[in-house]
Amino acid sequence: MLDLFLQQTVNGLALGSTYALVALGLTLIFGVLLIPNFAHGEFYMVGAFLTYALVMAGLNFWLAMALGALAVIALGCLIDLVAFRPLRGAPPLSLMISALAASIILQQTATLIWTSEARTIPTPVTGVLRTPFFIVTWMQVVVMASLILSVAAIWAILNRTRLGLAIRATAQNHDAALLMGISMVQVRLATFAIGAALGAIAGALLGATFPIYPTMGVNPVLKAFVVLVLGGIGSLRGAVLGGLFLGLVEVMVAGYLSTELQDIGAFTLLVLVLLIRPQGFFGTAQVER
Amino acid sequence: MKALRMAAVCLTALGLTMAHAAPALTDEILIGELHPLTGPASFYGIPESRGIQLAVEEINAAGGVRVGDQSQMLRLMTEDDHSTPTAGVAALKKLRAADVRFIIGPLGSGVAPALFPIIDRDSGVTQIVDGTIAEGVTNGRNIFRNQAAVSQYDLAVADLFRSKKYASVAMMTDRFHAGFMGTQPALSETLKSLNATVAAEEYYKLGDTDFSAAMTKLVSLQPEVLLIRGYPAEGALITRQARQLGYEGQVVWEMVSPPSTVLKNISATEMEGVYNCIPPTTEDYIALGQDKALAFDKAYQAKFGTTPGELSTLSYDAVYILKAAFEKAGSTENEAVNAALAAMRPEDVPQLISGYVAHQDGRLFDDVGQVNLRGAVSIWQGEGWVPVPDLAG
Repeated sequence: MLDLFLQQTVNGLALGSTYALVALGLTLIFGVLLIPNFAHGEFYMVGAFLTYALVMAGLNFWLAMALGALAVIALGCLIDLVAFRPLRGAPPLSLMISALAASIILQQTATLIWTSEARTIPTPVTGVLRTPFFIVTWMQVVVMASLILSVAAIWAILNRTRLGLAIRATAQNHDAALLMGISMVQVRLATFAIGAALGAIAGALLGATFPIYPTMGVNPVLKAFVVLVLGGIGSLRGAVLGGLFLGLVEVMVAGYLSTELQDIGAFTLLVLVLLIRPQGFFGTAQVER
Repeated sequence: MKALRMAAVCLTALGLTMAHAAPALTDEILIGELHPLTGPASFYGIPESRGIQLAVEEINAAGGVRVGDQSQMLRLMTEDDHSTPTAGVAALKKLRAADVRFIIGPLGSGVAPALFPIIDRDSGVTQIVDGTIAEGVTNGRNIFRNQAAVSQYDLAVADLFRSKKYASVAMMTDRFHAGFMGTQPALSETLKSLNATVAAEEYYKLGDTDFSAAMTKLVSLQPEVLLIRGYPAEGALITRQARQLGYEGQVVWEMVSPPSTVLKNISATEMEGVYNCIPPTTEDYIALGQDKALAFDKAYQAKFGTTPGELSTLSYDAVYILKAAFEKAGSTENEAVNAALAAMRPEDVPQLISGYVAHQDGRLFDDVGQVNLRGAVSIWQGEGWVPVPDLAG
């Protein structure tokens, strides 16, 4: 069985990249605005469906993905305006319920438009990379590369722009950022726009690998929350490494123990991390005053 | 004045209750149908529901059902079970509250076992199951099924293995599909008795997307056959991921899988040569040029503007089976209708499209209310499934 270890490791990294890609947008919104955005799964789903619709209408995949992401950015800002902004200062439970409501409304709307039948976006990159040690599809390579590019782009925005500085300041101390004259409207819009765009890109790329359907966002967003807990909420590095770690654990459990234990393994890991290191691998412990 | 107002309120409430219950008029027979009209299984459920609507309209247009010396019209009441047990039970209660005594459905292998204990104890209702293939959901008293049981699917798998003399198999089964999970041990034993080594039995669930870990393991064992039991979206994904990981053996599906759904998830080229082991479906009967199937297809397309689903003919047949039972019984009393169903022969229902084979005693349903609708092998060629009449070839 050890001869399969390298292949299973690559499988785990490929799966983990998909988790990390979804978790990136979620951790950004959660980290900056403290919104547990369950509707992030629907950004992912709408991104996939819009790309599918545009590709079916004859557009090039990459162009369709870009247009889909723009539409989902608009959707993200709308969701913030309608579902979250009126609840500023409300307890976290209210935000969570509002997020769940937005999620369900988007799922039902998608069902009305596209029906519940599963479909896959025609893949823009076909073929398989065969090496003496492992096999990986070119589309999986594209997903992994997109993860690296996304992280690099977010890092550049956060660390090399004034907007990024404002976002980081807000994430560190909301009240102090306000006192410094930072526009919260701008920060919210930018955070939701980046988060929604990441969700839409993840949806388009993964929709070319996995079936898409209106409730397709539910499971990935649950896994993304697991990733956030593993990696530490608000930590980009945590989202990436947490996602890769979760993918590896799931694949190793399925490959070496049993496929029936795959999800049990992931959620057992979640409980263990919560017990041993509640702030996650890369999160910082916070003291409530 | 106050008393008068109270009386008015009571009468209004009573009126609303009566309106909700909407009992059937004496010259009409109320039939309830339970299918998933929303949710992930709706692409099976909606075409089933439409098959029923079509049959009811045809029967009513032809003068209704002749019960004794009077004609009665059919009236349909549709409920959405979302293919979940909870919604299914709620929908059944709603139908019973409206005094529905004849029910067609459900589709879901999770729903039928939830309904079974309720209907089994209720002598005031007759059910024809037209969708689920789960075992143990009929009783031959008041619950009958005109769909195959999963064990009848398995017969086709055994036929294929017997004919091709496959030496080894790895199975991937949807572990939440009660039907497939129920027959997995028996099928495994059958295949072993046909000298096939069962190299591995792995599981997945509806909605899973990554099968790479299981596929890596299975591909390393190089079984001659990869048998996938479940639903088509996952079936397509498993097939694709197995091929990507270098699996070159024979892929065999055991699932109702409309080509339109399959092709939304995998290319026709990747599907070429995949076998499927299920009873013939609507598309098969149409492809075989069966007159009644062609007429059904034409009527369905004219009414709904789309092609029928794989299970539509079963639902259509179920309505005609009920009609024949009413006419044979000369009554709409459940006890009489049940007796007529139990004694029914395939030739009593000339409108049947599906290829039911009479049981040894000539009846349509056996003692537990199950039809004989044997699985057959088809192969994917070009853009869809093609029946394989001669397995030896």
